[in-house]
Amino acid sequence: MRTRTLTPPVNLMNRRHTSVPPPTGTWRLGWTLAGRDYAVLIDRRACFASLGLLVVLLAISLLSLCLGSLALSPREALAGLFGHGAPMNVFVVRELRLARLVAGVATGAAFALSGCLMQTLARNRLATPGIVGIDNGATAFAVASVVGVGVSLSPPPMALAGAATATAITFALASDVGTRGYRFIVAGIGVGAVFGALTQLLMSRVAIDAANSAYPWTVGSLNARDDVALTWLLCGLAPGIVVACYLARAMRILRFSDAVAQGLGHRVRACRYVALALSVALAALAVAVAGPVGLVGLIGPEIARQLSSHRGVPLIASALAGAVVMVAADLVGRLLLAPIEVPVGIVTAIVGAPFLLWILLRPAPRFQS
Amino acid sequence: MTEPISHERVSCRERLSSRERLSLVKLMLILLTGLGLVSLMSLLFGAGDVGPVAAWSVLTGGGSDDARFVVESLRLPRTLVGVAVGMALGVAGSLIQAVARNPLAEPGLLGVSAGSALAVAIALVLGASAATLRVSVAQLGALCGCLFVLAMARVNGVGSDPVRLVLAGAVLSGLMGALTSVILLVDQRSADEIRFWVIGSLAGRRLEDLRAILPSLSFAGVLVVVIARPLAALALGERVAVGLGHHPRWIRLLCIVAVAMLVGAATAVAGPIAFVGLVVPFVARALAGPDIRRALWLALPLGPIMILCADILARLLVAPSEMPLGVVTALVGAPVLIAVVRAHRLPAL
Repeated sequence: MRTRTLTPPVNLMNRRHTSVPPPTGTWRLGWTLAGRDYAVLIDRRACFASLGLLVVLLAISLLSLCLGSLALSPREALAGLFGHGAPMNVFVVRELRLARLVAGVATGAAFALSGCLMQTLARNRLATPGIVGIDNGATAFAVASVVGVGVSLSPPPMALAGAATATAITFALASDVGTRGYRFIVAGIGVGAVFGALTQLLMSRVAIDAANSAYPWTVGSLNARDDVALTWLLCGLAPGIVVACYLARAMRILRFSDAVAQGLGHRVRACRYVALALSVALAALAVAVAGPVGLVGLIGPEIARQLSSHRGVPLIASALAGAVVMVAADLVGRLLLAPIEVPVGIVTAIVGAPFLLWILLRPAPRFQS
Repeated sequence: MTEPISHERVSCRERLSSRERLSLVKLMLILLTGLGLVSLMSLLFGAGDVGPVAAWSVLTGGGSDDARFVVESLRLPRTLVGVAVGMALGVAGSLIQAVARNPLAEPGLLGVSAGSALAVAIALVLGASAATLRVSVAQLGALCGCLFVLAMARVNGVGSDPVRLVLAGAVLSGLMGALTSVILLVDQRSADEIRFWVIGSLAGRRLEDLRAILPSLSFAGVLVVVIARPLAALALGERVAVGLGHHPRWIRLLCIVAVAMLVGAATAVAGPIAFVGLVVPFVARALAGPDIRRALWLALPLGPIMILCADILARLLVAPSEMPLGVVTALVGAPVLIAVVRAHRLPAL
């Protein structure tokens, strides 16, 4: 999405870059800092896509603040957001809906960013953390911490440990078969099934109260979010997005072969490790807040890829699209069967599964081996 | 088989087959002994207070009233239901693997069990509650799931790649699971009625449950006996099967009907249990070779052995309470799935 070009020859220093026109479909942003010229190429279509998604996200966020068992007009909701209007409205908007909205946006962005990174790394558009078993690993460990088996760590670090374990197992199992094909995915499904069974085992060992408190972990819901976990996620997401933007250029080269990336001067191995670690960490932190809603990691990047140009890896657009999907799914889940709340994980499963089937059954997939 | 074969080859083949048949009988004897032992264990061990010694004294004719009640009214029906469910799932797994030509095909993984669970949930919401109705509804749902799987297997690219078909099935199964949980959320009454059923368990099953599924199980058994031979011919390829006078389309259809009846009956009694239909044919093929008829014979004792072992573990691992049966089978079956996927050359069926 972004290209940074350093200008090597010194005698060109005084010349303006505008003598070379930027490639079609991009804008060039040039500046001089400490005697050196820098330029950034901005992909026009990716930029428009991100802006459009941002507008949609703002609109649906406002909708999410307005709608619920107490319906507010947009004006009332905004007034309540800034602390004006009836105390009831202020309470509902700021205490109840805003926290939930922030959690939805953050988890959606984290899941989608994580999915986009892992898809690019594995060169496989089905390789999202939810599908290759990483979500289930994080869930199993987080449930272990909730029902108190031996250790007394809080859910987020435990989810991190679980996600790292599941990733290590899945990638170790894939060392023979590679990460490109479907075998990788099915090996991941197997790993996920083991961790899912472990979660059930933990739940069946404990008393009914502890099992009830751990139940949201197994379906994925924004209802029982933990404030500490949300803080962890926000602290991880902010630097994560920055690192992802830094990686974006290397990632778009990594989509080709390792030899090409190495020939263009990228440190393939380091870049891959950083991206994988970031992907796993984001997925784990998001699971610690909302439980396994992994299909967002598939839907978000797919929407972003359709909207953006094929040149780059749409990391920012993926994060925005994931946030939109998450907030929308949560809104639908809250409103659909009004007094009962359908957990967001179930809504995304119902929406995402046909989508996944469509990807699978399409005659000529673009992204897979 | 119909092509002209030279004399030596015939004699060689006959010798081979007679030796294999002998080994099949031996294998069956060994497995049946194993099944007897496992059934005995299933009667002796339990989560409650009645230990193996007390249960043994009941079996030999003595024992207290409590122990007698536990063994005769709780553990015996449970064991019998486990044997029936294991047979059904093992045979169904072998059949669906043969008809989809895919060593990874499994009723639970492909969404057939989830389809029947969804059908039962819908029926309960619509007001049904009779046990007999539940069996037929579950079979209907399983049939829909089977037909969908078969349709997917025919799509170009998916059918030729065994792993891709499993992926599609896993997605389908997730979708049905989500729909089932929505129904359970909406309708509290049916939620209470089937909450312990949707996770898959043998706990508290009675002899009436077994009686409800016996007719369809025996019908499916007759069907399997009829189609076993054409199915073995179909394994040689569609043209060979046609050349031998079979009708591949009809074989497939009958096979699917048999799978739907078996899986539907098993699901109606025990809930969706995954991975049994994957592990049992895998082991049966390893023991018996590629011939589907021999594999089907071996699947008959192997399925109950796996189910009963898993059920005993489910009772003993978390001693005062019980674990869902599906959890244990998943813990055993998922590594087998990974092993099959990792094998460099998937065995072609």
